[in-house]
Amino acid sequence: MDLILEYRSQLVAGTIMTIQLALVSLVISLIFGLLGAWGKLSSSRAALRLAGAYTTIVRGVPDLVLILLVFFGGQVTINAVGAATGLWDYVEISKFVAGAATIGVIFGAYFTETFRGAIMAIPRGQIEAGISCGMPKQLIFCHIIWPQMVRYAIPGFTNNWLVQLKTTALVSVIGLQDLVYNAFTAGRSTGQLFTFMAAAFVIYLVLTAISDLALRALDRRYSRGVVRT
Amino acid sequence: MIRRTFLASVAALATLSGAAFAADALRIGVEGAYPPFSFKGSDGTLSGFDIEIANALCAQMQRDCTLVEQEWDGMIPALKARKFDAIVASMSITEERKRQIDFSEKYYKTPARVVASKDAGFEGTVEGLAGKRIGVQRGATHQCYAEKTFPDAEIVLYSTQEEVFRDLILGRIDAQLSDRLIAQESFLSTDEGADYGFLGGDHLDVECYGEGVGIAVRKGDEELRDALSAAITAIRENGTYAEINAKYFPFDIYGERPASADATN
Repeated sequence: MDLILEYRSQLVAGTIMTIQLALVSLVISLIFGLLGAWGKLSSSRAALRLAGAYTTIVRGVPDLVLILLVFFGGQVTINAVGAATGLWDYVEISKFVAGAATIGVIFGAYFTETFRGAIMAIPRGQIEAGISCGMPKQLIFCHIIWPQMVRYAIPGFTNNWLVQLKTTALVSVIGLQDLVYNAFTAGRSTGQLFTFMAAAFVIYLVLTAISDLALRALDRRYSRGVVRT
Repeated sequence: MIRRTFLASVAALATLSGAAFAADALRIGVEGAYPPFSFKGSDGTLSGFDIEIANALCAQMQRDCTLVEQEWDGMIPALKARKFDAIVASMSITEERKRQIDFSEKYYKTPARVVASKDAGFEGTVEGLAGKRIGVQRGATHQCYAEKTFPDAEIVLYSTQEEVFRDLILGRIDAQLSDRLIAQESFLSTDEGADYGFLGGDHLDVECYGEGVGIAVRKGDEELRDALSAAITAIRENGTYAEINAKYFPFDIYGERPASADATN
């Protein structure tokens, strides 16, 4: 226990990095998710194919493989391009950028399906009613689609977010100093690996518990006026 | 007109100083999770034999060094991707690694030893270990030696040395093979290792263990490699090495001179 207190600055720094990574990649994945859902629901064949390829490939490869590919493979590619064109000597792919971008793109694919399911759950009749009243597309989106989409998407969103939060632990293999990396290093340096893994366990539980509370509040807010049968 | 020349000269000076700085700067990959060679203090600072040797070599070569932390499995890929220019992380010089990277002269060499419970009931010989489960760190030289020398034993692989010691205590493996120094410092001298001891003597094998532990550089980076080798010799001669060695180990871990690579302790 004393060891944990002694190394608390390391654990705190790691927790902050994990939270930053999770939030940045969340923003990226929401953008990709909405774009992907729009693509899969659009009438354009090309958009459909592109979104389909995106979700198939990204969800079909293990996250760890993708992260290593982007970080090491991407670096080697950039080095090769730089050497071939002579434009630069060495441009570093930052670990944070590689990690956040990869996780963001990965979970964008999962969010695509979440949003697609949520939009499809909205009764079509309501949208038709909006069109027949002469509502412009933007108003239909703001008043009819968006609020209901959020409500239907929350269970899937919560799921994805919790998995995403824990997936950020993978960046420890590219050496990004997140909670798991710092806990591992502290554990190995002091010979007390179990103690520090237990500390990481507790911290992740706290983070997910906070997320759970926040998302439940969001659920209540977007379910106002809906009768729960 | 005057302002333009002023700005131009400032820009020129800036790029020049940037270039000069870049020529001197050296990035060194280190691990941070292999005590006593490298470990992290509670404030996040790296220390250990490897770290101090790296800093001493940089001071000797009069270059600006940055230590870059890298997880062990990604060490060589990171070096090849130019994330850093040299690796000082207790990496053994082996033929297999030499196919991908170059090494400097060794900066230490310690033998390997088998560790098992004091009342294990078997010898540390090939016959004694037949049928037993021996834990080793994967990818490290010990895996090569264990598979070669104890063909009748079951070799169990782990990604870190720490995990090997864990499972030895838990009884999932009967013995383990690792660096003698690591076993002594991180395990046998701790409370948990009190009931364990060395089984048999030193194991030295040039094919698996190579010529010792060296500093890795990218293939073809001969300038850096030779500079590092020269610096190692220099700090051996001027006493810096001995000073650092004394902080961590009760005896000189350099081993024999490189010429006689196969000597036993």
